[in-house]
Amino acid sequence: MSRKKRPSKASAAPPVVKKAVLPDQAEAALGASRYREAIEHYKELLKQERRPAWIEGLAAAYAGRAAQLAQKGMVKEASALWRTRADMCGTPLIEGPYVGWLLEAGEGEQALRLLAGATQKLSRDAQTQLETQVAAAVLVAPDSALTGLAADSPLLRHRAAAQAALAAFARGDDAAMAEHVKVIPFSSPYRDLRALLKAFSLYRTDASQAAVALTRVPADGPFEPLAAVLRVCVLPGEAWLASLHSLNGEGRALVLDIKGWPEERRPLVLELARLSDGPASAAMLYDLLARHRSTLPADTAAQLCRRLLPHAPERLKTYSANFGALSAAEKDHILALAAELKRDPEQAEDHWLNLVERLRADPAQRARAALVLRRLANERSRYDPGGPPDEDALAWLAQSLELDPEDRATHLTLIRALRVRSEPKELRKCLEAALARFPDDANVLLEAVETALASGAFKKAATLAKRVLALDPINPRVRTVVGHAHLSHARKQIAGRNPVSARRELDEAAQWLRTNADHGSIKLLRGIIDERGEEGDALLREGLAEMSCALVGSFHLVLEASHTRHDPKALLRRAGIERNRVPAASEVVALAHALNTARVGDKAVQIALDLLGDELRGASAAQFAESDQLVVCEALHRHNKRALVRRYAEAALQRWPARPVFVYLRASAAYGANPWRMPRRELLALDRALEVAQASGDQRTVLRLDDLLAAATGHIGLPGEDDDDYLDGLPGDDAGTVLEMMLAALGEDAFLAMVRKQLGKPLFDEMRRDFGGNRKQFIRALIGLLADIGPPPGLGDTGAYADPQPIVPLKPPPRRKRRTAPTDTQKDLFDD
Amino acid sequence: MTDPYRVLGVANTADDEAIRAAYLAAIRACPPERDRLHFERVRAAYESIATERDRWAHALFDVAAPTVQEVLEIVSADMRPGCPDERRLYRLLGGK
Repeated sequence: MSRKKRPSKASAAPPVVKKAVLPDQAEAALGASRYREAIEHYKELLKQERRPAWIEGLAAAYAGRAAQLAQKGMVKEASALWRTRADMCGTPLIEGPYVGWLLEAGEGEQALRLLAGATQKLSRDAQTQLETQVAAAVLVAPDSALTGLAADSPLLRHRAAAQAALAAFARGDDAAMAEHVKVIPFSSPYRDLRALLKAFSLYRTDASQAAVALTRVPADGPFEPLAAVLRVCVLPGEAWLASLHSLNGEGRALVLDIKGWPEERRPLVLELARLSDGPASAAMLYDLLARHRSTLPADTAAQLCRRLLPHAPERLKTYSANFGALSAAEKDHILALAAELKRDPEQAEDHWLNLVERLRADPAQRARAALVLRRLANERSRYDPGGPPDEDALAWLAQSLELDPEDRATHLTLIRALRVRSEPKELRKCLEAALARFPDDANVLLEAVETALASGAFKKAATLAKRVLALDPINPRVRTVVGHAHLSHARKQIAGRNPVSARRELDEAAQWLRTNADHGSIKLLRGIIDERGEEGDALLREGLAEMSCALVGSFHLVLEASHTRHDPKALLRRAGIERNRVPAASEVVALAHALNTARVGDKAVQIALDLLGDELRGASAAQFAESDQLVVCEALHRHNKRALVRRYAEAALQRWPARPVFVYLRASAAYGANPWRMPRRELLALDRALEVAQASGDQRTVLRLDDLLAAATGHIGLPGEDDDDYLDGLPGDDAGTVLEMMLAALGEDAFLAMVRKQLGKPLFDEMRRDFGGNRKQFIRALIGLLADIGPPPGLGDTGAYADPQPIVPLKPPPRRKRRTAPTDTQKDLFDD
Repeated sequence: MTDPYRVLGVANTADDEAIRAAYLAAIRACPPERDRLHFERVRAAYESIATERDRWAHALFDVAAPTVQEVLEIVSADMRPGCPDERRLYRLLGGK
């Protein structure tokens, strides 16, 4: 088959007519570092005329282009271009960077030949610089390559000493090396080698000293490859491993020579160097060690791989093949740890329990089995930290003590857990075992004290407590525990009108308790016992004086009155407490702190707060700091004193308007029990407060507001969760007019009776108490409330009045979705 | 380094006394005011193997995998700085 010959492009193309080049174009290309273009232009110009300026331009363009190539590592190409430059422009070959490029390209001998013929053309300084540059090449070159060098050249004169020093260094003969180095003067071209060999010598004994010595060797000198090796050697830790790649093969091998790595382990270290570049997985490290196990000391690879197995359990089979079979216990151990690492507690428990079974069979391993059981118990409690002690966990702890009864901490853990679970039989057994083993241990005895108190065995508790104090005279916990138990018992005796026993208990309590507040309580109780004498009144006053302030004292006295079934008002009179006094802000804050330690739901606290209500209401206008006002509000809120909270929150809002937490507290106090009654203006205020709290990152208040809004809008039954229109459609102002008309028509008494029946007695009474007997204000508030929520069905209706239907709260609605997820960083003052 | 025995420089079979001695020597050599991190590493290592029970617990429950650095330290533990090969030195400097 014949093929038509295509005409070549060259033959097809019209002949290229080169434009005449202007000198300006050549200069512009040179000035802009467009060296190839400049070379072409200058060549064209030189064809026209060999003008010296154009020859210089061509030489500069060649030099620039050669430097560009050298920068890219193309030193051979750069050298060739330099030779062309010399031919074309008549420039001396030896000038500039040419010798350096030859050395870099491994053409040291060519550099030396050049040097031999051309040094006489150079200045003295240039000659010295060139000699230094070729020192390494001269050192390693064969003698035959040096024939052109002048006999008096320092390159030749000091060469033998430098070679001898290098040979001594290679033999490890530091003394001989030092002798040879001494012969090399500081001005010698081999001076860098002298400093380097000294640094290498130091490295054998002190790497940090070597690093210091290395700083005296200039960078990029003739012996730079050797300096680079030492720079890697002196790097701390594993950094040298990562830097190995910066060296060539000879450099890497020299580093390993100097660090003492035997040949057979070098593949391992080079692979480790590659792994150190990025994150190495356990499996990769395992495989590497397994592959090179024969080069490592006995058991080293096996031990390291064994430690890697929990992270790479899939290598269990290969482990047995490489290092010998693992026992069943070892396998369970590895798989248990692997399961823990994978966060699979059930699988981990299975393997741990298998391991326990295997270990407990061997008497020498029982303590280890006990450790595993304790870990299992701890892990169980970790997964449910707030929950009651787990049955399995208790069983594991008990088993661990059977295997290893010497572990005191486990005895204590088990005793505490059994006390929480109220298992007296087991608890007694466990306590007796612990006491038998650790009869003089304060912590065990303290547990015995608490257990005795919990079962009402005061005498036994006191005896045990004395033993604790004999061992640990300043143990504050045992004193408090026992002292408070005696106080509690004394209260019961006083309530039972048994003053003799009560005094005895108080005497006991006095021996144990140390704080002023506790002593104050003791005096108050003694004063309560001495009901008829002056002495009793004096004791009450003394007891009050021990308290931080009169208000707190009154609070405690009322508490004690309730606990001992006495009339609190009579006791306050006996103690000389001035009623209706307006307490200072600091007293209210102190009371708030006392309230924070009181048990929520304690009736005595409610009685005390009711009795002190006038004082607290009077103090609400005091000038509190914002944080103190919040402390007071929160303490009252904690004990559900809504009217007081509302009063303090409103006072706070007058000083710090629209502060979200106070808006919440006010609304919660006013409508928390019946949120469906919340008026539109309050809902709007809550919504604004929610936005402010969200903006300020106050997550706790955001959640509280969100819940309150959910309760309020849910009861009203308004549209969906995030529907901002839920405020629409609430009762208007017309209802207020209707109620005013009803009040006018019925009169105050009938109107109140009607509203009372409609609202229900508890709410009505609570509101009335809030207004402290101010009937007018109370009626205004009722009208406001009913106008806001709309009159209950049938209000004002004769039939309804005769047979009223109390307002029955609807069932609580499903909770609204939270607007903001709780976070760990809450800004509220009282965040835990 | 994750192996407390190596941090303290004691054998895996060391007893309480040897471990305490190594710990005291380590903190004397490097007190906390000189190198806080190193001191804390030494203290953590000591606390993890101070008693026999601690050592059992360490053997049973420690899951710290050896790092590349630790492997390197372990496999180079028996090495001492050596002498370079002379011909290699020449080749490195450009000799044939």
